[in-house]
Amino acid sequence: MIRNMITLMSNDLATAFKNKTLYLILFTPLFVFLALQFVDQTDTGHRKIKIGLIEKAAYPPAMLRSIRSADQAFEAVWLADEAEGKAWLKEKKGDGILRPSGKEPQRLELIVLTKASFQTIAIVEGVAALQNSVEGDRPHWISEIQPIRESTVLQQTRPTWILMLVLLVGFIVLPAQIAEEKEKKLLLGLLQTPIREMEWLLAKIFSGMILIGASVLFLHLLGRLPLELGSGASYIAFLIAGAFCFSAFGVFVGFLCRTQASARTLGVLFYLPHLLPSALSEFSQKLTAVAPFLPSYPFYEPIRSILLEGNRLSNFFLEWVYLVSVGLAACFFSYILMKKRWLM
Amino acid sequence: MQLQVNHLTKVYPGKKGLLPTTFTVEKGELIAIVGHNGAGKSTLLKMLAHWLVPDGGAVRVEGVDLKNRLALVRKMGFVPETPNLFDLFSVEYNLKLFARLFRVPFSRVEETLKEFNLLSHRRHNIIDLSKGLKQRVSIGRSLLADPPLLLFDEPTSGLDFEMTKDIYTLLQRLHASGKTILFTSHRPEEIKTLATRIMVLHQGGLVFDGPPGDYFQSNIHENLYA
Repeated sequence: MIRNMITLMSNDLATAFKNKTLYLILFTPLFVFLALQFVDQTDTGHRKIKIGLIEKAAYPPAMLRSIRSADQAFEAVWLADEAEGKAWLKEKKGDGILRPSGKEPQRLELIVLTKASFQTIAIVEGVAALQNSVEGDRPHWISEIQPIRESTVLQQTRPTWILMLVLLVGFIVLPAQIAEEKEKKLLLGLLQTPIREMEWLLAKIFSGMILIGASVLFLHLLGRLPLELGSGASYIAFLIAGAFCFSAFGVFVGFLCRTQASARTLGVLFYLPHLLPSALSEFSQKLTAVAPFLPSYPFYEPIRSILLEGNRLSNFFLEWVYLVSVGLAACFFSYILMKKRWLM
Repeated sequence: MQLQVNHLTKVYPGKKGLLPTTFTVEKGELIAIVGHNGAGKSTLLKMLAHWLVPDGGAVRVEGVDLKNRLALVRKMGFVPETPNLFDLFSVEYNLKLFARLFRVPFSRVEETLKEFNLLSHRRHNIIDLSKGLKQRVSIGRSLLADPPLLLFDEPTSGLDFEMTKDIYTLLQRLHASGKTILFTSHRPEEIKTLATRIMVLHQGGLVFDGPPGDYFQSNIHENLYA
């Protein structure tokens, strides 16, 4: 009995190696670990807090002196005006801006991207510690916090969930479905009928787009997330382009695999690197630098900007064209593979 | 002639596949293609059915080139060894799906269900059917567009005696109705009772092509299956 079990287990492990499931098992924790290294270690712990100060504004001299002296914890960056500061924050070049409070003299307002973030907590704690060491128990220098993005956690994280849904259908659902059709010879059966290869291909891509549309709609309905008319049209245009791009990409991934098992593995190998750097770029300057090199970023960043900052399609037209182009290229390569009956 | 195969070739890495093969088929023939595993029988049929892309050669079916798939799918039906049906859907769904793609009326589905004794199974999912029933659905599906030429890859493989007899009867009926049939087989009794012509493939090459009487009188059969 034990001998049989060992034989069967060896066979299972050999199969896992053959269909690349083993790579999936190893790759997932490795990738999550690496991604979280960027978030946890560098951003919240040892990194200096970059604080923006407005050149023409009057700051309490004690505060300026203490920030300058605490050069291990703070890096002060002088900015021409508040508009430049906000752009600086949006580009994630800094963590927050301090400006004199309009309501209470000698006190400050902290402008941050989002209220509930590591950066905001770090700035408030850091400034409070500085003040305690200089002035003791006096009213806090920071009297209020102004977030640039005023929204709930669900609204703030909506771009991440949308990206996740798009990639899930593109890289997990579609490749496995196509590999199954190839594995069971269903696709070849369909090609015994007078349908064109391109018809099958487009039907598959559109079915992926419909799945994405349905899941995103469900997310909106669950979260009761409203859309403005102008940005709503831009958002839908990007959602369609992204759904097309990643559905076509997913179909192409499906064509690279002979079996469902290998399609699932390959799908995850594409899914995580596309999802995590973009989705976590909010929390990390390093990931913000890496993410633009991924095809998921030209989808994520415009969606985020449109939903959270009210931007329009016209600001991201190149990204929109890029997504459609990648989709068309994936569609073309899938067509070539289909014509060659690749791994069928 | 109905089918003209000219130097059709398929080479797999490290394997022979099908060496350049030439033959013609007249209307109404019932041809058994025999040979060992790996002789090239299935490769030949799969190339004719557009499952594989040939490396060389030319094929014409009723004057239409093999490359014109859209025109040929109505002239040639292919029944694979393992039925390739949508397992999680019913018999009726599968037939209706293909009827829709072939643009034939649903009344043809009803006729097929009746013709293949599938009326009582119409709502059963494919996954719940026996292999024999699945094979019947698969054959029924390939006949939806009423193609004049039919290709069967090992039609009785894995079937019990009764089911095998059913398939023989069906092939004879289809032949009697004027269809041209090519089928691959391992079973001498199929070759003897059904075929009007035998083609023997060995290591990718065509080594015999003639009537069953000549085949069984020659020593090819003995050499092949000794």
